Amino acid sequence: MMRYVMTLLAALMLWTHPAAAQNGPLRLELTEGVIEPLPFAVPEFVSDDSAGAELGRRIAEVVAADLTGTGLFREIPQDAFISRVTSFSSPVQFADWKAINAQALVTGAVTMDSSGKLVVRFRLYDVFAGQELGDGLQLVGTQDGWRRIAHKVADQVYSRITGEAPYFDSRVVFVSESGPKDQRAKRLAIMDYDGANVSYLTGSSSIVLAPRFSPNGDRILYTSYESGFPRIYVMDVGSAQRRALEQQEGSMSFAPRFAPDGRTVVYSMTRGGNTDLYSMDINSGAGTRLTTAPSIETAPSFSPDGSRIVFESDRSGNQQLYVMPAGGGEAQRISFGQGRYGTPVWSPRGDLIAFTKQSKGRFHIGVMRVDGSEERLLTASFLEEGPTWSPNGRVIMFTRETQGAQGSASLYSVDITGRNLREVPTGTGASDPSWSPLQD
Amino acid sequence: MNYLSKTILLCAGMALAACSNPDRFADGSGGAGGMYNGAGAGMAGSAQDPASPVYFQQTVGDRVLFAVDQSTLSSEAQATLNGQAQWLMTNSDYSAVIEGHADEQGTREYNLALGARRANSVHEYLVSRGVAGNRLKVVSYGKERPIELCADEACYSKNRRAVTVISAVPSS
Amino acid sequence: MNTGQIISGAGHLALIGWALFGGAFQSEPLPFQVTEVTAISAEEFAALSNAPNNPEAVANVDTPEPPAEGEGVPEVSATEDVTPDTSQPEASETPPADSVPEPQEPPAPLPEAEVSDAPPVLTPPQEDVTALVPEISPRPQPRPAPRVAPEPVAPPEPDVEIDEVEQRETTPDAEAAETVEEDTRETAREEATTEIVTEAEENDLASAAPTRSPRPRTRPEAPAPTPAAEAAEDAREPSEPETDENAVNNALAEALGQGQPATGGTDQGAPSGPPMTAGEKDALRVAVQNCWNVGSLSSEALRTTVVVGVTMSEDSRPVVSSIEMLSASGGSGSAAKQAFEAARRAIIRCGSSGFNLPKEKYDHWRDIEMTFNPERMRIK
Repeated sequence: MMRYVMTLLAALMLWTHPAAAQNGPLRLELTEGVIEPLPFAVPEFVSDDSAGAELGRRIAEVVAADLTGTGLFREIPQDAFISRVTSFSSPVQFADWKAINAQALVTGAVTMDSSGKLVVRFRLYDVFAGQELGDGLQLVGTQDGWRRIAHKVADQVYSRITGEAPYFDSRVVFVSESGPKDQRAKRLAIMDYDGANVSYLTGSSSIVLAPRFSPNGDRILYTSYESGFPRIYVMDVGSAQRRALEQQEGSMSFAPRFAPDGRTVVYSMTRGGNTDLYSMDINSGAGTRLTTAPSIETAPSFSPDGSRIVFESDRSGNQQLYVMPAGGGEAQRISFGQGRYGTPVWSPRGDLIAFTKQSKGRFHIGVMRVDGSEERLLTASFLEEGPTWSPNGRVIMFTRETQGAQGSASLYSVDITGRNLREVPTGTGASDPSWSPLQD
Repeated sequence: MNYLSKTILLCAGMALAACSNPDRFADGSGGAGGMYNGAGAGMAGSAQDPASPVYFQQTVGDRVLFAVDQSTLSSEAQATLNGQAQWLMTNSDYSAVIEGHADEQGTREYNLALGARRANSVHEYLVSRGVAGNRLKVVSYGKERPIELCADEACYSKNRRAVTVISAVPSS
Repeated sequence: MNTGQIISGAGHLALIGWALFGGAFQSEPLPFQVTEVTAISAEEFAALSNAPNNPEAVANVDTPEPPAEGEGVPEVSATEDVTPDTSQPEASETPPADSVPEPQEPPAPLPEAEVSDAPPVLTPPQEDVTALVPEISPRPQPRPAPRVAPEPVAPPEPDVEIDEVEQRETTPDAEAAETVEEDTRETAREEATTEIVTEAEENDLASAAPTRSPRPRTRPEAPAPTPAAEAAEDAREPSEPETDENAVNNALAEALGQGQPATGGTDQGAPSGPPMTAGEKDALRVAVQNCWNVGSLSSEALRTTVVVGVTMSEDSRPVVSSIEMLSASGGSGSAAKQAFEAARRAIIRCGSSGFNLPKEKYDHWRDIEMTFNPERMRIK
C-alpha cells in the first residue's frame, strides 16, 4: 500500500516537476574516513635581526615538535618547501604549499620591542581552503621564555585544527631516579611537558614518591622518607619551600592528592597495618576519615567537580577500583575485569578514568568510563603504572620500568586512542609523573 | 686470620652486597650509615657476641618472608620471630624498627600498604611474645628497596620480607 | 600591542615562578616574565604588522588566493595524489607486519566490541586472552603512526571501485540483498580497516589470540570487491537522510518498469543524460572518504555529523567557494567548525584533480550534499 502511494507520488512529481526531481542535490553519506597525521608546514619565523632569526628558527622547531608529538600531525621538512616565507605580511602562495601537500601552514614573525621583550606573531592557514584559521595572534614575553611562547603558538594551532583544548604550555613534576634498583636515589624534579628545562626541587638524600600538582599548579604534594617514615609534604613550586602535613604519631601517610578546591587533600594513612583513606584541610590540618575497612584503601583521585573520589581497594580479595562520595560513604565497585586494578585517576574532562592493570604477569595502562564500562587497555609491558592526564584529557603520561638488575624507569606518553606511544625524554631515570594544568 | 678480621670482612662484604642493610639509602652510597645500623662500621659487637645486633641479624635472623600478596606468618617465620622476641627481651636496651617490603609486582601505593601490613604482622607477633610495643616501630618501604634484582620469583620471594632492624638508640 | 588589547580582549599570562637549577631548598623564582598574549582580529593584526614596513593591507593576503585556487589545481593535483598514495601502502603494511601470521587475523582481536556494543561484562573474557601473550620486550620506540583507512591496501583501491561499478550494473537485486547487506558491508569494512591497534592489543596479536571475542558478524572474506559486498554498499548507500528519496526512486523504478535502483531521476524528459549509477556514486563517495582525515579531530568533533554542500564545476572539480556547512548535529558549534573544516579539506584535496564524474550527467552531480558522519571512526 505504502509503495503504491509512493509510486503515485513519484509519478506525480515526475509529471509536474521533472526538473526538481533531477536537479536536487546528489546526496552522499560518508562514514569511513581515514586517520592519519595531518601534514603541516612551519617555516622559520621571520625576523629583522639575526638574534631574532635564531629565535625564530628555534620557535618554529618547538612548534613543529609539539604538533608532531601529538601523533595527529606530520611535519613537512623545510627542504621540501617550494616558497620561502621572507615577510610575515606578504600574501601566502597557497599553490606552493598545496604542491607539497601542506594542509596547514603556520607563519610567524619575531621582533623585540623597545623594552627588550620578545614579541611573536603568527598566523595559521588552511592551505587547501585558502583561508586563515582564526585570527593572527601576538604573544609577548621574555626572551628566556621563548619556549613557552612557542608552546603557546603550538597550542593555538593544535586547538584551532583539532578542536581539543590545548596542553603544550604545561609542566610535569616527577621523580628523577639514579643508581641501581636496590639503592635508587630519588629526587623531585620539574620540567616542561616535553622534557625540556628540567630542574630539581629536592636533594636525593631521602626517598620521595608520587608528587601531585595542585589544581592551579602552584603547589606539589608528595611523600618523603625524610623523617625515616613515609609522610606527606606540600611544596610551593615557586620557592621550593616545603612543610610536612599534620600526621598522627606512629602512622604512615602517602598517596596524597588535591581536591579541585586546592584546599582539601585526600590521602592514605596506615595505622596498625591497616590503610584507609582520609581527607584533610591543608591549612587547618583538620582531618576526616573516609573509609573504615580492614582492607587496603589507597590511591584516591577526585572527580573534576569534586563530588566523588575514585580509589583502589582490595576489599574484594584483590585490588579493584571503587567510586564513593567525596565525603566518604558507600562505594561502588567499577572494575570487574580479571586481574588487578590500581592507581585510578579521573580525567580532567570527567568522562574517563585511567588506571594501571595487572594481568597475567604484565602491566597495562588503560582507560574506562567512570561507571567502569568500555574498558580499553592502551599499553602493555613488564611493569608500568601511575597514569597522569594532560590538562585537556587527551594524553596520558605514565611510568614504565624495564626488568632485571639493569632495569630503569622512564616516562612514556600515549594518546587516549592508544596511538602515539612515545618516551618522554628526561635525561635521567624518571617515574611518577604528574601533569600540571595549562599555564596561564 | 683471627676471628675479628674475619668478622670485619664478612660485615663489609655484606654491606657491599646490601644484603644486611637493605634500608640504607643515604645518598645512594655504599649502604652503610644511617640512623639504624644493621651492619658495617657502626654496628656494635660481633657475631660471636649474643648481645650484639650482628648476632641478632646473622644468628637469630632478622627477616621473615611472605607469600605473594600475603602478610600472614608461616611457621618458619614464627620460629624466627620467637628468636627475635627472645633476643629483644634479653637485650632490653635496644629498640627496633620493623621494615615491611614488597616485590615489584604491584603498584607503588598498594605495595606501601602491603609492606605496612607485613611489618605490622611482625610487630603484633613480637608484642604477643612479650616485647614492649613502645620499643618497636614499623615502616613500610613498599617496593622501593628490593634486595634482589632479578625479575623472577627467586628474587621476588626474597623481596617480600619484613626486616627487624635493631637500633642502638634507646627507644623513644 | 596596545592596539591589540583593545580588540579581541587580552589574556594575561601569570607570573610563573621557576625553580632554579640545583635549587632544592634555596631556589628562587626564576623570572618568567609576564607574558602578555594579545588576541586581535585579522584586520587589526594586518594593519599592525603592515604599518611599519608594508603598505599592503590584509586584503593582500586574501587576494592572490582565489586565482591560485583555480590555476594551481591542475598541476598540483598530480603531486598531491601521489603523496597520500605513497604513504598509504607503508602504513597499511605495518599493522599486518605486527600481527604476522594471517592477514585475516588482525581484525578479529580488535577491541571494537568494547567500544559501544559491549557492556563491561564482555571485557573480562578478553583479558584471559590478553594474558596468554608471551612476554614481549618492551619496545621503546613509538610505532610508526599508521594510516587508518577503510581499505588497508592502497593500490588496489581504485581498481576495486572500478570493479564495483561494473559489477554493480549487473546486480540490480539491491533490494533483495538489502537486509543481509548491512551486515555484510560492515564486515567487509571491518576486515579492511586497519584500526588503531594499541600496544596492549598488539601483543594480543603477537600471541595466538584466536578466542578473542570476535564480533559475530565478522566474515572470513577479505575486502575483495565481491558483488555481494558491493551490492551491500549500494544498498546501504542511500541511508537515512535519503530514505524518502530512495523510496521514491525505488517506486519510480518500479513504476517505470525498470530494475535499476538508481537515484536522482529518470531518463524521462531528462536533458542531462542517464542518472548516476550506484557505482558512480560509490566511487565519488569513496574518493572523498579517501581524503577525509578525521585523525586530527577532537573527541567531540568526532561525535559531530556535518552536512556539507558543494557545487561542482563541469570538469568535476569542487568549486571551493561554494563549500558550505548546511547543518551539524551532535557537537558544539566549535566542534562542528573543526568537523566541517576537515570535510572541506577532504572535498578540496581529493577533488583537486577532478572526481572523474560522467560529463553527460552533470546535472545530476552539479550540486552535492555530503553527510560526513564520523560515528564509526571514533576513537578506534
